[in-house]
Amino acid sequence: MTRPFILSASVAEASFAVPDDGLTVLRAAEDAGLDLLVMGRAGERPFDAQVLLAWAAPVTSRLGLVATVPATNAHPFHVARALSAIDFLSNGRTGWSVIPEGAPDGMAEDMVGAARALWDGWGSETLILDKASGRYLDASKVQASNYDGPFFKVAGPVNAMRPPLGHPVLVVDGEASIAIADADIALFVDGAAAPAATKRLLKVAVDADPAGLRARFDAGEIDGVHFTLTDGAAQLAAIGARFGSLVTTHADAGADLRQRLGLPLPTTASNQPGGAVIPAMHSEFA
Amino acid sequence: MMDNQIHLWAFLQGIGFFPSGWMHPRARPEGVFAMDYYARVAALAEQGRFDAIVFGDQLQSRGAGGRTPERMAMPTLDPVSLLTAMAAVTRHIGLVATVSTTYNTPEMLAERFGTMERITGGRSGWNIVTTAHPATAPNFGEADLPPKDERYRHAKDVVAKACELWAAMDQEGPALPQGRPVLVQAGQSADGRDFAARTAEAIFCPAATIEAGIDFRNDLRARVADVGRNPDAVRIMPGLSCVLGGTEEEARSNHAAILDLADDALGIEYLSESLCCDLTGFDPAGQIPVDTILAQTLLPKADIARAITPAAEKGTPLGEFAAHFMRHPRGHNVFLGTPEQMAEMMIAWRDAGACDGFTLQPSYMPGGLEDFVEQVVPILQARGRLRTEYPGSTLRASLGLPARETVTA
Repeated sequence: MTRPFILSASVAEASFAVPDDGLTVLRAAEDAGLDLLVMGRAGERPFDAQVLLAWAAPVTSRLGLVATVPATNAHPFHVARALSAIDFLSNGRTGWSVIPEGAPDGMAEDMVGAARALWDGWGSETLILDKASGRYLDASKVQASNYDGPFFKVAGPVNAMRPPLGHPVLVVDGEASIAIADADIALFVDGAAAPAATKRLLKVAVDADPAGLRARFDAGEIDGVHFTLTDGAAQLAAIGARFGSLVTTHADAGADLRQRLGLPLPTTASNQPGGAVIPAMHSEFA
Repeated sequence: MMDNQIHLWAFLQGIGFFPSGWMHPRARPEGVFAMDYYARVAALAEQGRFDAIVFGDQLQSRGAGGRTPERMAMPTLDPVSLLTAMAAVTRHIGLVATVSTTYNTPEMLAERFGTMERITGGRSGWNIVTTAHPATAPNFGEADLPPKDERYRHAKDVVAKACELWAAMDQEGPALPQGRPVLVQAGQSADGRDFAARTAEAIFCPAATIEAGIDFRNDLRARVADVGRNPDAVRIMPGLSCVLGGTEEEARSNHAAILDLADDALGIEYLSESLCCDLTGFDPAGQIPVDTILAQTLLPKADIARAITPAAEKGTPLGEFAAHFMRHPRGHNVFLGTPEQMAEMMIAWRDAGACDGFTLQPSYMPGGLEDFVEQVVPILQARGRLRTEYPGSTLRASLGLPARETVTA
């Protein structure tokens, strides 16, 4: 598959949590061809991003939905459940980014480890859903993770299915970095080293030069760009106008976020190569 | 507002009221993993002019003694996420999420429900629970649940602190349309009822008979008045499941058909979960293993002994006991009859002061909800006992409560 140029942005205006304003920003993001919308950012706590992801899932169709999760105001059991639900509701378009600020050293990494262990407690092919035999699932595919980290001890299994993506796409921000060796996406500023990740997105301003960035993409220096929005809807229109031509090469509508962005599940992060499979049913439901 | 109106809530735990419900031809068990299912369910509830959709919750996976059941519908997805997604595709229905005060901080609760309240445009509700299942503690790094009285004391402080934080969020803006989520409670014990009387604006309860409903509602209204609140500003919403039919006989045969979907193995898994002891290795034709159950259960042993001893002393075989246990849901009103009879029963309960409305627990999903909305709702509306239009856009408006109240814990 063609290597996609990834377009990403973060929104952290409190008004994004008001339905009319939120919908305007989400529509502008999809119109601009954005791949990822990161809700919330380090240093700002305008809303609970996981709640807004759930709301955005049914009113968007292509956009990757990334929740910032503050390490100090969340528990991996709750986070694993919320992101699993949202990944189902969005057909595999979920991402997350753990914000370490204010947390003791290692807490954000522990959050990532615990949630990953909970998602790995459910096998991709756990569900059977066979009405005739009465077997709902294959219990041999469900494991207690017994995760035992420095901050979080979580027995499991979690009462949430493995997400369709396997694990939601993990985004690490170089300016609020956490020590994860196998993140999916790193955000970094020019001149600084990007955290380890499958793909690297350069943080740029809306008026950055698309041709120059395209050249750096072609040279393999970057995999795309990330914008820090302060006036979501207006800036997204400008982004669409200036950068839209760079993303026209990856429109495959049916694919999930990992397929579309070329982000296979890291084998170091997950005990299985894929996400949950829901058996096809023949219910009398119209 | 007319005071003889029947309020409706839809309690949509997983796949329906009956453990065997997921196997029904009109059940859609794969739907609980798909947005189109939730959009359909939410549209049905709005069509039926329900006040709210409620999701129950647990903070442990189903099972007993470390064994995951194979024949019961699970897992349950996160209720806040499901309800918030349903808000995006509806305009009026309230959305009530069950969330624990024991395993969330006030800051987590405030941020979560404050955001939900804003993005739903004032349709959020919080069913406050303290978490009673002992298997939850190890998911949060603890060996044991705190004792019940301590959990309720803590809950009071958590709700009070969350209310302070919502007041601050509301002032800072954007405004929280209802000031904070509607507070809902389901406690049955004396501790639970007192907590509900001080805090809740709507209360669920099981009530198998009209007399039980009247007793509960009178007791709660007295407790509400005792703490200086207006009893008319609290909605009492007992649970109600149903199996309908064109005739009474047909309803009974439809009910039998649902129960017959269950086999011994499902019954034993269900009993294992309820007693918190894995019984799947025991012979269904053999004795109820009382000693093993009492040795292994994590639930209060006296309660469990009360539940199993009479059958054990009679020599009831384990499989038969399990089947009986599953067929007789404790404490809930399961109505069997025609849509006309159901509407009459509901009106009679309302007129007798047994409730302010009902928390419908469809027998299987989505078929059970479809039947109720298509067959019973029009009768209630024709009799002038259920609204045909929503009175406003917030959950408080649907409940007939003042736009913003200042009740705090």
